[in-house]
Amino acid sequence: MVTRDDVLKIAKLAKLSVEDEEIDALTKDMIEIIEFANAINNAVEDAELEDFDDINSVVNAFHEDEVVESFDRELILKNRDGGEDGYFLVKNRLTR
Amino acid sequence: MSWELVTGFETHIELSTKTKIFCNCATEFGGEPNTHCCPVCIGLPGALPKLNKNVVIYAIKAGLATNCKIRNISKMDRKNYVYPDLPKAYQISQYDKPLCEDGYITLSSGKKIHIARIHIEEDAGKLVHQRGNTYIDYNRGGVPLIEIVSQPDIRSIEEAVEYIEKLRLIMKYIGVSDVKMQEGSLRCDVNISVRRKGEEKFGTRTEIKNMNSISFIAKAMEYEFNRQVEILESGGTIEQETRRYNSDLNITESMRGKEDADDYRYFREPDLVTISITNEEIENIRKELPELPHEKIRKFIEEYGLPQADAELLVKYKKISEYFEEACKDTRSYKTTANFILGQIFRRLPTDAEKEEANIPVPPQYLSELVALTEAKKITSNMARNTLEKMLDTGKPVGELLSEKDLEGIDEGTLRRICEKAVEMNEAAVNDYLNGKKKAFGAIIGYVMRETKGKADAVLAEKILQELISTK
Amino acid sequence: MSRIKYLNHLLATKQISCVELTEKYLKEIEKENKTLNAYVKVTDEAALDTAKKVDEKISKGEPLMPLEGIPMTLKDNISTKDIETTCCSKILEGYVPIYDATVWEILKSQNAVLLGKTNMDEFAMGSSCETSYFGGALNPHDTSHVAGGSSGGVASAVGGNIAVYGLGSDTGGSIRQPASFCGLVGLKPTYGAVSRYGLIAYASSFDQIGPIASSVEDAAIVYDAISLYDEKDATSCGSRYKAYDVLANSIKGMKIGIVKEYFEGIRDDIKASIEEAAKVYEELGAEMVYFNIPELKYALPVYYILACAEASSNLGRYDGIRYGYRTSNYRDINDMICKTRSEGFGREVKRRIMLGTYVLSAGYYDAYYKKAQKLRGAILKAFKNAFRKCDVILAPTVPTTAFELNFTAKDPVETYLTDICTVPVNIAGLPAVSIPCGFDSEGLPIGMQLIGDSFREDKILNAAYQYEQCTADRIYKKLEIGVRL
Repeated sequence: MVTRDDVLKIAKLAKLSVEDEEIDALTKDMIEIIEFANAINNAVEDAELEDFDDINSVVNAFHEDEVVESFDRELILKNRDGGEDGYFLVKNRLTR
Repeated sequence: MSWELVTGFETHIELSTKTKIFCNCATEFGGEPNTHCCPVCIGLPGALPKLNKNVVIYAIKAGLATNCKIRNISKMDRKNYVYPDLPKAYQISQYDKPLCEDGYITLSSGKKIHIARIHIEEDAGKLVHQRGNTYIDYNRGGVPLIEIVSQPDIRSIEEAVEYIEKLRLIMKYIGVSDVKMQEGSLRCDVNISVRRKGEEKFGTRTEIKNMNSISFIAKAMEYEFNRQVEILESGGTIEQETRRYNSDLNITESMRGKEDADDYRYFREPDLVTISITNEEIENIRKELPELPHEKIRKFIEEYGLPQADAELLVKYKKISEYFEEACKDTRSYKTTANFILGQIFRRLPTDAEKEEANIPVPPQYLSELVALTEAKKITSNMARNTLEKMLDTGKPVGELLSEKDLEGIDEGTLRRICEKAVEMNEAAVNDYLNGKKKAFGAIIGYVMRETKGKADAVLAEKILQELISTK
Repeated sequence: MSRIKYLNHLLATKQISCVELTEKYLKEIEKENKTLNAYVKVTDEAALDTAKKVDEKISKGEPLMPLEGIPMTLKDNISTKDIETTCCSKILEGYVPIYDATVWEILKSQNAVLLGKTNMDEFAMGSSCETSYFGGALNPHDTSHVAGGSSGGVASAVGGNIAVYGLGSDTGGSIRQPASFCGLVGLKPTYGAVSRYGLIAYASSFDQIGPIASSVEDAAIVYDAISLYDEKDATSCGSRYKAYDVLANSIKGMKIGIVKEYFEGIRDDIKASIEEAAKVYEELGAEMVYFNIPELKYALPVYYILACAEASSNLGRYDGIRYGYRTSNYRDINDMICKTRSEGFGREVKRRIMLGTYVLSAGYYDAYYKKAQKLRGAILKAFKNAFRKCDVILAPTVPTTAFELNFTAKDPVETYLTDICTVPVNIAGLPAVSIPCGFDSEGLPIGMQLIGDSFREDKILNAAYQYEQCTADRIYKKLEIGVRL
């Protein structure tokens, strides 16, 4: 059974911060969802079955080792207003 | 109570392919930040990776050069963790089906250091911490890496250094990386533990990450060995942790503040397809491999008759060994050529870096000409040395530096006459010599050398002079 | 019946100019979108620019390409250069792609007139369109009901006559279910037939882009145009058989599979509708084949385990560093990332990320992810065997008709259960098309599914077309809203 602690651990791994008020509701949801997923426990595994690997038969899809011009830095930084001196900037702390 | 050092390495090597592992951006080192990027390598929503063919080929070369078995069917996996230099929050790597497995490198002692696996993966971007902020450059993101994992077979710092140097040299020779540690194209994580001599069980190990200098590796290992021994001898236990080498204080430090051990939740990369390589393709790659360092050293010793130390020194620098072989292409004057290189030419390249670059102003053909003249005794070794210095200074070939006359050499008759003249003109010195002043001989032979402009065969001149003087 | 061909004809014969046609659609969008909430962004300027280009071509007497000048829409998880693309999530608010998805590049090269980006469940996670940051899209047949999800916006727009066709995406039913709810044709192609490059990923080994249109012909025209091999997508193969040319082929002798498991837990009126359809097929000369696929029992949990695992990884990149929403108060980078994600993602997305992280985590990987992968293989194998017995499988699309608004289930699992008929083909990477087959007592459309073997879109569209031809009046209702031409 999924516990409150499990939920906190998973949230931390998934980089989600859960407010105290949310934890109980989320735990309840997770318990139900995992219960639903547990249905596969009853499935008898066919010992012969290989590990599922490819959904279609495409194999060896490679790109040739030839340089194609990179995107303009302006475009790369476009969604961060051009960045700072050409870098993506994250201020280590921001409080308003 | 004797303690034993136990070490293994995880070595990351940047491959020198033209393009990144999953996109066609250039892998060039340096460059303004974020100028070698595209939607794929900065992980924009919707962008998809595609594997660089040469990355697979280079990795197979690395595996074959280290005696690994190459997997016919292989795949890529996602290693999930969050860090600002990893734009997708996962690194595409290989988990349980690496391209190469079960190889080894042989040390000079004959001992084999086993290689557990070699796999391919992408590098992350670079973080710069400044003014309390974090700046991120993704140029390096997506640069192809091979990770070479050794078994914990190493038992001394000397073995460790030799292992890294041999690994580095092999990768250089097969042309898969420029392995410049100072530029970060070869980085090591050192796993180190200690145990009492004779004990079979392994002790708890610590990991010293991201070392890119062999001398620092040696220092860090020494410090860590002593640290661990001290703890155990005082009854404590070693904490399994990741540490960092502090070169200013020459200590290793715990990387405090790091998150609990990451759960990487590996699973197969669904955006990439199976890699299938036939044995025939592997053989074709094997055939294309150049001579490996240890094969070249053996050739230099056994076929060319060079002493081991000379052979190893020549091979140590790839461009030097290439220069040497080019210079010896049409002759068999291996020893003479080697001596010129290891002596005078090396003196012009005092640092390791300079020997790696091998910017020798004399093309190998010119050296070859000089060697040929020396072997044919058309010029004396003295002359050859002087001429080589002039060649290194001017870059000119022998033909431009020595005239016909110079090359004529002195025949014995002429030499005899000059020696007779020397004895005649240096009566005082001759008398001093006959009276026991051995040093006086120098003046007489000096006269001969001056008269012949240094072209006289010093050994023969001495013989003739002794003959003449003894009859006095 | 093909709206695309009809409009193509009107344009080619200069009965209407492309600008006029586009203006008609834009006017109707302005009127109807307030109710339907199908569009989250209208790109009128760009649409009219393209329309002008098309009119120039027409005035020069140049022949038109099949999709040229046809007003259409893209689900908002398909990247459009310079046009905000949000996946209807707060975390991608303001994100403007710097490149086009390959499918959009293809349609752009045909001068398709993009009217705007349409509404969807956040990150394509949902079955009602209601998890959208912008609120749900409504069902044009009855606006007290949802359009469906996750491609609810496309279905609402096409069904409401404010787009001729649209491209949606289908991971567990997200094209077929809204098509079914809104009385439209929705095709999920074989995995790999259509490039995923530029599709903002939910579950990489399940996602496929496909058309939602008002007729089988239109779906076939669009499918043929977009199912091209793309070298940027390593999993891409393109289509094997073109569909349009074989639509009118006779289906005499075609073997149609009826699989027991597909009819369990289905509402009676829907079951009856499919049985009616089976009779129509028999009259057309097809042969019904009855069998079981017991592996289908595990399809739902297998889907949710694997899709959420991939999603938890795909959505890891949303951290506010390079694009999108970033929280405005934080102590350090880790705090910034966690707060950004928690503030930016909606509840359903968070649940699925949590499930995905859980099933991949140490200690649970073997029991969940690994086992689900093996079962996936078993389901794939079972379908391969099924298609030795029949050419296509006939099944319901959804166990119900469109849910009422604010479909807040007692628990999240109740919604997941409604995906029971659609997820199996995503697990097996097979093609499937949903076409209308009737209406329920409230007048809400009922949909049926034709499922085919890998790359046999030609067969399923052929079967769909033949059925459509005999039943068009019964199964389609042309609504008196939007553009009526």
